[in-house]
Amino acid sequence: MTGAGRIVAGLESAGVTLAASVPDTWIGKLMAEVRRSPHLRAVDVAREEEAVAVACGVNLAGGRGAVLIQNAGLLNCGGILGGLVALYRLPCFFIVSLRGDARDPIFYHQPKGKVTEATLKAWGLAYALADRSGDLAAQVRTGVEAAAAARAPYVLLISGEDLA
Amino acid sequence: MTGRKPFLDALVAWLRPDDVLISCLGANARWLPHLPVRSPVFAMCDSMSAAIPLALGVALTRPDRHVIALEGDGSLLMSPNVLATVAAARPANLTTILWVNGHYESSGGQSLPPAPVDWPALARAAGIARVETVTEPGALAQALDGARAAREPTVLVLPIAFDPAEEIPPYSERPEEITARFRL
Repeated sequence: MTGAGRIVAGLESAGVTLAASVPDTWIGKLMAEVRRSPHLRAVDVAREEEAVAVACGVNLAGGRGAVLIQNAGLLNCGGILGGLVALYRLPCFFIVSLRGDARDPIFYHQPKGKVTEATLKAWGLAYALADRSGDLAAQVRTGVEAAAAARAPYVLLISGEDLA
Repeated sequence: MTGRKPFLDALVAWLRPDDVLISCLGANARWLPHLPVRSPVFAMCDSMSAAIPLALGVALTRPDRHVIALEGDGSLLMSPNVLATVAAARPANLTTILWVNGHYESSGGQSLPPAPVDWPALARAAGIARVETVTEPGALAQALDGARAAREPTVLVLPIAFDPAEEIPPYSERPEEITARFRL
């Protein structure tokens, strides 16, 4: 099974039923796998803040939603993370493509890569780097459960390599 | 032009216990705790632009409930993209009520950028076919009945008067209380 398949299997086994997304090259591959799942609904949104609110709405209604976006989009989300997710203590699980780190071959992503983890730390968000040598599905389940338990965001950072 | 409160009263009278109300920040959220709302309410005190996508997530998860999102023109001007998102998702059970008064009421009554935005046309252009303008509170229940029966996303545009002297109650519920009470 591909890494994308293992990540989607993790979403399914964690009880996630909806993935809201703005794609980039990597997240687009992951969403293609989401669309093949009979257990997940893919919701294409126009901006990343919408994805956060949609996923929170799923959680408010008793389900489990996930946000699949690029780190550029995550950086857009400071306002809604403060004004919705943190203020109302809502679970919100993210899978975020970590563009611009040493593994990313595309030069123009580097400025985002330099600030992503620093921003997550500054915002006080729990996060982890996906480890493709380990059990990716378990890493997803851990993140979903951590978000639910803390009623807070949890961000799993992935690379293109993790999807292969 | 009518003010907000008669429309809000008409909406509250129309709601059923199995409906769901998601409210934007501002006057709506400040009034709702003081009104006899029979349905679950999630009313925000921050988060401009979050009401419609939050309601979309609820609607897609609970297709057995009719979800009403309240949003203001200032919030929607900040993120009109959400109209296309709703059109793409095509929830059969989501109605958006858009209050149009041309002002950022909750932040002191500043005017929106003075562009003559055609809100019904904007919603239609984004792909929402069912858009209706409601100008009288007495017509709101019929418009909502139509939205409930239509089984497609609906936007109801409500032009309302801006009254800087309106006495709106302050926020009276803490966010954690709102989250804890919201159960479907």
